[in-house]
Amino acid sequence: MSTRPPTLRMKRRYLLILIEPAGIIIDQKGLYYAVSEAATSLWGDAVAAIIIPAVVASDGQYVIIRCQRGTEQDLSVALSTITTCCDTHITLRMIAASGTIDTLREKIRRIKKPGGESLSLRDCMFDKKLFKIDQCVGQKIDVIEKGFKNTNRLFLTTEDLEEL
Amino acid sequence: MKITDACVYPYPIGDSSHRRMALEAKALGFERLVAADTPSGEFYGIEIFAGILLRDSPLRDITGRIKRVRNNGVVVSVHAGDNGFNRSVINIKGVHILRGLHSADKSAFDHVAAKMAADNRVAIDLDLSQLLFGRGYSRQRAIQRYRDILVLERRYEFPLTLSSHARSILDLRPVREITGLCSLIGMDSSDVETAFSGVDITTAPPNSAVKVIG
Repeated sequence: MSTRPPTLRMKRRYLLILIEPAGIIIDQKGLYYAVSEAATSLWGDAVAAIIIPAVVASDGQYVIIRCQRGTEQDLSVALSTITTCCDTHITLRMIAASGTIDTLREKIRRIKKPGGESLSLRDCMFDKKLFKIDQCVGQKIDVIEKGFKNTNRLFLTTEDLEEL
Repeated sequence: MKITDACVYPYPIGDSSHRRMALEAKALGFERLVAADTPSGEFYGIEIFAGILLRDSPLRDITGRIKRVRNNGVVVSVHAGDNGFNRSVINIKGVHILRGLHSADKSAFDHVAAKMAADNRVAIDLDLSQLLFGRGYSRQRAIQRYRDILVLERRYEFPLTLSSHARSILDLRPVREITGLCSLIGMDSSDVETAFSGVDITTAPPNSAVKVIG
């Protein structure tokens, strides 16, 4: 089957999405199912069939999600209802929308910052409990409680640790 | 008029410190948070109001608790009950927000309660977590209930507040996405803007009936 001429092709838009919390690796297929379920649950099969959401690329924390042109707003509302993926509590933050994947890849290269700072993998105390610093970007510090069970993830700032 | 999330739960109820919540809220476009069990203050340019939520308490206890925190700058919210309870709560001086109407009885908030809320400047809260976390029937019921509240709001003009009930920074949503989410219940961007400033209206000192000139 030959490809259609550009004027007859479906017009698409691509959304650049940041997955939070930092350091979580999400399977692309699992994310596709989560996006599809969220769109269908919120808008129903008829509108989801018009949006045609698809996860087309991922680069660490960033993913690119495709939709039909004109449905970006509907898709972004549906994406805001995603709270878990593969049994992990996550949130999707929309950063940009574009008509080409290349533009978004360029944007990822521009905004991507080097990984965790030197504080990473250090231990710290918070609320009389021992935590391991998992991520540290700017003033934001994500810590994981040390131990075999109840190893909760907490979201703190540098000031929270200095206060103690 | 500041863009306010009318209810968040920082650590120890949630998993994020109030400072981290403020940092994230600033990035998402908010200017103020009402945080449960947190001292008031300003962090990273975000104003945090202390808030208390009273639920499953008899009216006498609610009145006593409000007397203790009155004039402390605390935002007092009461969880809705049946119609009689809601009307009584709205009449108590010092109550700022009535919450949880999505889970209350269908007749819990009628036109009489709506008029009383407008007269006493008690805000009605729209809990966005029902739209974000709910699926199927529970979300449909919340949308239906919020649409019904909006019908009364357009008629009687009582204040509304929007709250995420976020227990984590992962539960906070950007202002733009909340505007999109509120379109599900028939609110346009100007309605959302007004609802975001509902805490300003409900916590402002009342206008005196008589104005002395000169």
